[in-house]
Amino acid sequence: MAVLASPTALREFAAAKRNEMGAYEQVIYVCGGTGCQASSCLAVIEALRQELASQGLEDKVKVTVTGCHGFCEQGPLMIINPGNILYCKLKAEAVAGIVTRTLRNGEIIEEYCYTDLATGQKVVHESEVPFYKAQDRTVLGMNKLIDCASIEEYISYGGYTALATALTRMAPQEIIGRVKEAGLRGRGGAGFPTGIKWEQARAVPAETRYVICNADEGDPGAYMDRSVLEGNPHRVIEGMAIGAFATGASQGIIYVRKEYPLAVVNARVAIEQAKSLGLLGENILGSGFSFGIRIVRGGGAFICGESSALMASVMGKVGEPRAKDVHAIERGLYDQPTVLNNVETWANVPLIIKHGAEWFASKGTGQSKGTKIFALTGAVKNTGLVEVEMGTPLKDIIFGIGGGAPDGKKIKAVQTGGPSGGCLPVEKFDLPVDFEALTAAGSMVGSGGMIVMDETTCMVDVARYFLRFLQDESCGKCSVCRLGIDRMLEIVEDITGGRGREEQIAVLEDIASAMSIGSLCALGKTAPNPVLSTLKYFRHEYDAHIQEHRCPAGVCRPLISFSIDSEKCTSCGVCARECPGRAISGSRQEPYRIDATLCSKCGICRDACRFGAVAVA
Amino acid sequence: MSGEYIDFSINGAEIHVLQRTTVLDAAIEYGICIPHLCHMKGILPMGACRLCIVEMVSGNRSRITASCTLEAKPGMKVLTHTPQLMAARKIIAELLVAEAPNSRAIQDIAVKCGVQEVRVPFHNAECVQCGRCVRVCDEMWNSHSLGFVGRAKERHLDLPFHSRPPTCHRCWTCSDVCPMKAPPCAGPMARGEEYLCGKCASVLSMSERFPEACVQCSLGEGFQCERMRA
Repeated sequence: MAVLASPTALREFAAAKRNEMGAYEQVIYVCGGTGCQASSCLAVIEALRQELASQGLEDKVKVTVTGCHGFCEQGPLMIINPGNILYCKLKAEAVAGIVTRTLRNGEIIEEYCYTDLATGQKVVHESEVPFYKAQDRTVLGMNKLIDCASIEEYISYGGYTALATALTRMAPQEIIGRVKEAGLRGRGGAGFPTGIKWEQARAVPAETRYVICNADEGDPGAYMDRSVLEGNPHRVIEGMAIGAFATGASQGIIYVRKEYPLAVVNARVAIEQAKSLGLLGENILGSGFSFGIRIVRGGGAFICGESSALMASVMGKVGEPRAKDVHAIERGLYDQPTVLNNVETWANVPLIIKHGAEWFASKGTGQSKGTKIFALTGAVKNTGLVEVEMGTPLKDIIFGIGGGAPDGKKIKAVQTGGPSGGCLPVEKFDLPVDFEALTAAGSMVGSGGMIVMDETTCMVDVARYFLRFLQDESCGKCSVCRLGIDRMLEIVEDITGGRGREEQIAVLEDIASAMSIGSLCALGKTAPNPVLSTLKYFRHEYDAHIQEHRCPAGVCRPLISFSIDSEKCTSCGVCARECPGRAISGSRQEPYRIDATLCSKCGICRDACRFGAVAVA
Repeated sequence: MSGEYIDFSINGAEIHVLQRTTVLDAAIEYGICIPHLCHMKGILPMGACRLCIVEMVSGNRSRITASCTLEAKPGMKVLTHTPQLMAARKIIAELLVAEAPNSRAIQDIAVKCGVQEVRVPFHNAECVQCGRCVRVCDEMWNSHSLGFVGRAKERHLDLPFHSRPPTCHRCWTCSDVCPMKAPPCAGPMARGEEYLCGKCASVLSMSERFPEACVQCSLGEGFQCERMRA
């Protein structure tokens, strides 16, 4: 490919590519993200290509394998344009019918359309699916349109024009000014103003400066960074190049975890493509500015998402944080000024340059501007990636976009911000999601994870679960975090195990407060959040465990017992057949009963019973 | 290091030290008692034990950080014994003594921080991962014969590939600087029979009345308080 030597060359290149793509009559966008790959989208794509070839439609219909659309539970997904037809939960066998009936005859196949869980109605058009309708897909929007392995498609949709504008028509200070004015804050969770970070890094005299893209998304429940980097890597690269120009950096690093193989591959391909077009490397677009990016793969430690641990890891040292009395913007990677931003933050930068600070600042609340992507999971009908304007109330996300709880259960709480975030009760669902409001309520925006819990979740058990995760993932360098999490877990396990004592609550609170002020890094400082927030909002559950030796949600095994309600039991015997411990006995004549000494409280009988006859107390 | 001095304040007292001195070193020099365990004079700070946390005030904002890793800057205002800091320090000391009660140094620190009761079960660990041995071996002898292996629960002290490397000169500085080297006054505690020593109750009353002043106490004598060693 020829190097694009000027912004004009970039414009001409884009126009040529747009013409090329306009030659197709129809375009099929098939999601090739990790989620859809897990539900065998590659087989669908293969079958589609073969079918188009055998029907001789190759020149008329274009198949675009895109990044993640965010509606992973409905995958594999397909959008057919023109028509904006959405087909979901596809199988390879369905492809022949789709090509013949929909592509050739324009017929809509209801079977593959999305079913609205609230109304039971079929929804034909992608834009009308309630899950998408209420979202503001500023950052994610392009994912469904472009082939993530093609720089041409990104450019044809106006990609790299923001970089061209920044390099040729703006001074670095002007770029920083615009980002500051827009009010962009770090999407990694802490919410530090990006423009101020850039400005400070620029002010430090140094020969070399670095920009780093933090794609070490450690929260197991969140995957928006992965989806952005997988689906639209050029947006991230463009953002980094603009940031590098603004801060005076010459080298960039994308730190991405090894558990994201597709993101690693896509980012690597994207960097090579950008290099070959001269959008990375020496003298970018003839502006005289030079910038290169390399990929560093992380081993998957949660702590390496912390900036100083990440930089230690990049330098080949043990991934442990250091004291941040001297910030990375002064002395970061290799002791040089370093700007580290999250994937989503970088992906917002080209948009701010392109559409202006006012456009960006018009979205969101007073202190939190723009949109934020959340990974909505747990006890809701629709799960997936949700991008909303900052300040959207929790209830709009959970009951609106998420569609509320499935199976008519009652939603009890939501856990936001990843393992070291907090749990908010349903009474707090009026809260707007922004940095300040969530932190004030005892949780945080954090990783953007959002786990919805219904009445069958025990909040003490939730605290135990997250402490367990943090116990494994704390680096262990500083004593408060290592010992504090250990001891808190010990106490919470006492409580869930029925050995809890009233006075242990005070110890929990004491350890939590020492950790939150004394820990070395943000992991330790926020690690008590799962305990503190559940103590704050669900104290009655702790009390029930300790004082009444009872788990209200029926989760903590030492505190519950299973029995069969003879009124509801139809003596079908399914429970007895399923019971791994042979603890259930009975016959047609004799009512079924559970032998408590043999019962391991696994709950399989409860799940197996179709009549709701297995009771938990 | 240039010979220039800077001025800053600890608890309102004016401190005049060589620039690039850490707040903890300055405090020790001035006889201000900030309990500490992992700190060693002349060895790079690690910030592992978190006992030496202080509050740094600038304008109407304040930040809590470890004083061993905090470089003193001109005009800085540091507070070492606010009620919040003392409460946190007491809990950190409680956690440490519960983890490794079999150390006179750690028992002393617990007394100094006002721990009167340990509310969690004792673990009787052999190592509190203060990293003194690792850093002494790295920095003083440039030997790199010891290091931490693993993460979180599994993190432990080990030799490279579990065997003594040829770079080890058997100088035993590692064990000299180990807080676990001296057992509590009444002798080593067996597993299951750990207790909070509290033998130094007389010193405790002094440290309760003057928590931030160095009262030349005998706590941690010859070990963690460099002032005593000097």
